[in-house]
Amino acid sequence: MPLSKVGEKRFNVINNSVPRIDGVDKVTGKARYAADIYMEGMLYAGVLRSPYSSAKVVKINADKAREIEGVHAVVTCFDMPRRQSWATYMYLTDVIRYPGDCVAMAAAESKELVDEALAAIEVEYEELPGVYTIEEALAEGAPLVHEKYKNNIFTDSYYPIRKGDAEEAMKKADIVVEREYRTQYIEHSYIEPEACVCYINPNDGAMTVHSASQNPFFTRRYVADVLGVPMNRVRMIQETLGGTFGGKEEGAGLVAGRCAYLANLTKRPVKFVFSREDSFLESAKRHPFRFRYKAGLTKEGKIIAWIGEQVDNCGAYNNQTQFMNSRASIHSAGPYEIDNVKTDTYGVFTNNVHSGAMRGYSSPQIIWAQEQFIEELADACGMDELEFRRKNLLHDGALTATGWPIEHCVLREIMDYTAKETDYVRKHKEYKTQKNERKRRGIGLAVTHRGSGLGAESPDASGCMMICNEDGSVMINSGLAENGQGLKTAYAQIAAEALGVRYEDVKFFGTDTHSIPDCGMTVASRGTVMGAQSVRKTGEKLKGIMIQNALDIKAFPLEEIEKKYKLKAGSLSYDKLEVKDAELLNSEFFLKKYPEVKVPFKNVCNTCLWAGKQMAAFEWFMPEALNQDHHTGQGKAFPTFAYGCIVAEVEVDMKTGYVDVLKVTASHDVGTAINPALIKGQIYGGIVMGQGFAVTEDVITGKRGQKTKNFDSYIIPTAMDAPEMKINIFENDDPAGTYGAKSIGEPATEGVGAAIANAIFNATGRRIYENPADLETILLGHKLQ
Amino acid sequence: MITYEYRRAESLEDAASVLEKYGDTARIVAGGTDIMVQIHEKDKRWENLKCLLDMTYLENELRYISEDSENVYIGPLSTHTDLENSEIIKKYLPFLGEASSTVGSPQIRNRGTIGGSIGNAFPASDPLPALVAADAVVVLYGLCGKRSILLKDLYEGKGKLALRRGEFIREFIVPKFPEGTVTGFSKLGRRKALAISRLNCAAALTFGEKGEITRARICPGCIFIVPDRVEKAEKLLIGEKPSEKLFYEAGRAVSDVMIERTGVRWSTEYKKPAVEEIVFRALAAAAGMEV
Repeated sequence: MPLSKVGEKRFNVINNSVPRIDGVDKVTGKARYAADIYMEGMLYAGVLRSPYSSAKVVKINADKAREIEGVHAVVTCFDMPRRQSWATYMYLTDVIRYPGDCVAMAAAESKELVDEALAAIEVEYEELPGVYTIEEALAEGAPLVHEKYKNNIFTDSYYPIRKGDAEEAMKKADIVVEREYRTQYIEHSYIEPEACVCYINPNDGAMTVHSASQNPFFTRRYVADVLGVPMNRVRMIQETLGGTFGGKEEGAGLVAGRCAYLANLTKRPVKFVFSREDSFLESAKRHPFRFRYKAGLTKEGKIIAWIGEQVDNCGAYNNQTQFMNSRASIHSAGPYEIDNVKTDTYGVFTNNVHSGAMRGYSSPQIIWAQEQFIEELADACGMDELEFRRKNLLHDGALTATGWPIEHCVLREIMDYTAKETDYVRKHKEYKTQKNERKRRGIGLAVTHRGSGLGAESPDASGCMMICNEDGSVMINSGLAENGQGLKTAYAQIAAEALGVRYEDVKFFGTDTHSIPDCGMTVASRGTVMGAQSVRKTGEKLKGIMIQNALDIKAFPLEEIEKKYKLKAGSLSYDKLEVKDAELLNSEFFLKKYPEVKVPFKNVCNTCLWAGKQMAAFEWFMPEALNQDHHTGQGKAFPTFAYGCIVAEVEVDMKTGYVDVLKVTASHDVGTAINPALIKGQIYGGIVMGQGFAVTEDVITGKRGQKTKNFDSYIIPTAMDAPEMKINIFENDDPAGTYGAKSIGEPATEGVGAAIANAIFNATGRRIYENPADLETILLGHKLQ
Repeated sequence: MITYEYRRAESLEDAASVLEKYGDTARIVAGGTDIMVQIHEKDKRWENLKCLLDMTYLENELRYISEDSENVYIGPLSTHTDLENSEIIKKYLPFLGEASSTVGSPQIRNRGTIGGSIGNAFPASDPLPALVAADAVVVLYGLCGKRSILLKDLYEGKGKLALRRGEFIREFIVPKFPEGTVTGFSKLGRRKALAISRLNCAAALTFGEKGEITRARICPGCIFIVPDRVEKAEKLLIGEKPSEKLFYEAGRAVSDVMIERTGVRWSTEYKKPAVEEIVFRALAAAAGMEV
């Protein structure tokens, strides 16, 4: 299938780089975040965390803390009735399962008093043995993190793929290669730490929560549960979010749950803002994986058998691994056509911070391992790595690992385009034979495919409410949330496109759980591709309603049209006009046959209000059902896939191990580019995040607690480190997503680490089996410690 | 939370008397780029902090870079940016300017001071190796008057300075190098900005008429408990002409001394080859050698 660039499709509002709705407010500092809220009589909250990774609280005495003037509440793990959230996470606990577990919390008139109160709480612990690595967790007789899970295996997170007969096919292979790869804990590193303000609304008594939450409905569930009240007694309003990347889900729920509990206890507004250390200790991390892959090849370089074990470290609690591993298993054989696949994916509990969603939901780790492995396979059969990929890549009609035929696939085209644009073949060959002992260049490539939306993991349904006001302005409301990705802007564009109004006339005011039903979570890069389907559907419905309204109120000046078009007087009549004869475009109505006479949208709206006409619509979108067999993983797993190819160029200091990422070229199939500028924004950020994952970022944790608690030791790339970036956006005729759009938030970062790892190999001849490729790993070939 | 009193020093004498009164429970704040972070982290060193003494209002007396025929004089409130941009430093101690330009980020360099960087006794300080390599003298001010000691002798142990009760850093006096001296600085961090040195090194070489090295100063950072030049490596260079081989030998001499002094540790496997390279690069940079 030939590649097509942005602009070849015909749209009015989408496909254009309109300015972000919230852009000016954010860059001028006008935007309000949850931490900015101040209320009269407000208290501040804080928590006391365990200094141990695995322990039991023997005794706790908070008397001294309670006596401090200005301290309004001190709650210990022994006096909170519902200390476990609706999920497994604990608000407070006497069983310490990881070094972020909290044993007490306090609310006081100042942050300083909160600190003082927490310091005055005396806690006696009994330290217990724990498990920290996948190996320790799986060892025979290992201490159990949760009694319920034998051998620390999180059985609910087990997903097998069984396609063909991999064991038998392996026996027939000419070449068999087996490797192990490992990845590390990654922090989201959003600029805004978790923050929340809770108060009881004096008018209706509802617990009102202003929170930095990625998924407002998800947070509401925590608050209603901890208070033991119905959901209609909790109102959650999302404040401007300073980044999330998957991080402000359970973390935001725990903050809001504790904050609401304290607000209810003290009957005062309570504000709870995490310090950066709190955020590092309690926010979920990207799952570290241990990958064991074994592939069987023919002499000619065709992969005929693939056996894999993907084990992830899910930390102490979990509400994510059981969903994430679905995606991990579906993608466990990469974007390759392999007839015989057998993979097993499961998580293990350890006494570390819980792992969760982090931009990619397993894909950065999987692609990092697989795309290195693919090159090792190419090498094993003496083939060029591009040729080897071409021979095995998915293509239209080929069956995925879940046995479903692929459609609209542009993997090979994207790879060839990107390789050519970057002069990959020449450089790759030339760099292999470098002799310089000090600095060496390298170029590396990775290809990616990503199931768009939630897929078979959970329902991908959503709703949208759209309201036209008397002045022709339009409001949209959806349960999906603006998390910094530009959702308000994209939704306003999609609504404008569907309804036929100008982009400037549409506003999405944000998410308030009292105003719209739960539309599922804003995760999995689903906001635009699937979530916006309900916006499109509502817009299209409302357009029909508004055109009918215009006809009903006789808004079209028929005499004027007759004159203008020199028609016989009286030849046009409302009796003969139907909705299909009229159009609404750019906030103007006109008759399709006579487009030169326009009727302003706002005039019609104004009349309709006083005529009592319906000027709003609500629609629900439910995608086609997907069905995968749980025992074999076979079936349709996603409505479609987004494809990408990343090429990274690096310079490696062979004497110190320093990796300088010089340039990254990112090519992505986005289906339809709703807003090309926002897509570029996603990709720029995704590249730098991928660079951090590949080269410097690592959260160190273990028996002695979590060592990495702030950005002094958690090394993210700075503006000085960011590479030169080249972006290619490709469109596609695939109709699955909203106006054909596919995911981009996560594709933007998922292949970058793999491309960098392959570039490092090209420069050094050394494979990175344990991420990240820090100074020591590059120079010594293994981690220090 | 650490609760402490804030005092603004009105004069040098006032500063000394506050320090005299509080002893170890007082701490000077200048730029605050280290101490404020440590207080925030509830660093155990400041558990008993009673007083934070703000010196910044003594800028007229303590922020300067000047020279006479013998020495360069640096006031301790000079910021890293001051050092980076100073014509005097560029002319006489270029490696100190370079080192200062690698500290943190522009914001940190605009606030952080040379006095703070040294007074904090931070072993990975970037300007420190250049000052030690240049045999800098530090002038201490106390109620009993001033005294001067070699900067390297100011360090007593890990993170500890040989300051008497009531004393603070009044000035750095750096003797000008002999004619024909060139300098170099190299640094290894984990990223290009806001990077604490994993390793660094300052080197100064004086050349004779025939292009032979007549005097050498090599001070590696981050590897010793107290900062020091490595005379064993310096001696290797005397009388020789610069070459890659020679500079690598000097690097190896430094790593030998590192192991002699601190033993083989878990990180030695990496630090040994890396420090050899960083020393090599500082020497090569000084000699203007392309690497």
